[in-house]
Amino acid sequence: MEHEPLLIRRAIAGDEGALRALWARHAPHIDMVVRRLVGGDADLAADIAQEVWIQIFRALPSYRGDSQFSTWAHRIAVNRTLNALRKTKRLANLETEVTEDSASVDPDPDRTFVAQSIEAAAAQLSPGARTVFVMHDVEGYTHEEIAEQLGITPGGSKSQLFKARGKLRKLLAHLVDVRDVELPRKEPAHVAPVY
Amino acid sequence: MSHLSTDRLSALADESPTATELAHLASCAECARERAAFQAVVELAAADSARIGSPLTSWETLRPALVADRIIDDGSTVSPAASRNRRGSRPWLQAAAAVLLVLGGAMAGRYSIGASPLPIADSSSVAAASAPADSVPRFHSIDEARVAQLQSQALYQSATAFLAAQDTSIRAVDSPAAIRTRLAALDRATQAIGQALDDAPYDPVINGYYLSTLGQREATLRQLNMVMPASMRITSY
Repeated sequence: MEHEPLLIRRAIAGDEGALRALWARHAPHIDMVVRRLVGGDADLAADIAQEVWIQIFRALPSYRGDSQFSTWAHRIAVNRTLNALRKTKRLANLETEVTEDSASVDPDPDRTFVAQSIEAAAAQLSPGARTVFVMHDVEGYTHEEIAEQLGITPGGSKSQLFKARGKLRKLLAHLVDVRDVELPRKEPAHVAPVY
Repeated sequence: MSHLSTDRLSALADESPTATELAHLASCAECARERAAFQAVVELAAADSARIGSPLTSWETLRPALVADRIIDDGSTVSPAASRNRRGSRPWLQAAAAVLLVLGGAMAGRYSIGASPLPIADSSSVAAASAPADSVPRFHSIDEARVAQLQSQALYQSATAFLAAQDTSIRAVDSPAAIRTRLAALDRATQAIGQALDDAPYDPVINGYYLSTLGQREATLRQLNMVMPASMRITSY
């Protein structure tokens, strides 16, 4: 494998082979991030992924090598995807969405849907909840970073995450339900609530 | 204590419970099961982060967009690097390129007459004589210096390759055996600097040496081709 710094230098100079090599090496990861954030709309995800790559190559001369190229490109992918989702109104006014989600009373709309994977389940989330969940639990961002990226408060990010996990827990019940939990002593006699 | 709320159990998937919550979880199978289920959701998500999917993009669809954006120069458009140079044609960049060209020419000239490429104690350096003090480039930012460094490296490699192809005096000096020896030495140098790059992948000095060595290797390979019979051509070494 060619040394990446050299590859990047060649790509900055406009070498098509180097540009293609960088794309081939990182596309599976970058495109996956876009796919997760966009959710189920494959056409939109493909359009955004194309924009992301153009943006990555446009910004390449500004790459300083302070972090791994994959990390740097990943950040661009997240930023660009969030901007694109805002443009399509899918991520507009996230703070409002958090409030509305908190206030909404929905007994259990997911009972008929059983997701076969975390990706399929996450696609069922609202754009705001999916974005926070993907950024925190999948991509490893902190609530402070998410809040900064999305223009919400860290508390709003946490609230959205917990609700996203709650919905995913139901959608993936067949995968995550635990039959027996070992307790150190006998179960108390209080009444369990309905989750 | 009553059961933990769904939001709290969700939070406890990756947060530590308080002492009271811990005591409750130790005694309540229902809450413990719920917490385990949330932890399983988080584990599934973490496992998904390592998953690699098929690309959403293809080079065939991406390339035309990059050409249109002038990131790729397909001959009909101007490359972004060239475009940037034209827009920001600063005198210091041209001066840096000119000084480098003169230096490179001087080195090649000295080399072609059998002298050391670098004038050790020679005060009649062509570059020094032909470069007035006020033409020495001054950089105002790291960005400017890095751009000049990149361009200088590319220019140096191109000049070296051109000289290897054009300068017939070099051929008279070097025998095929000497060129092969140099090629083998350059291969060892490339390998050593490549290993150094593994330790310091973004070090500009190491990168510079690596690029220069590769350029010299390419030039030497061309030189070897020139001194060998036409029936014997080396494409790789």
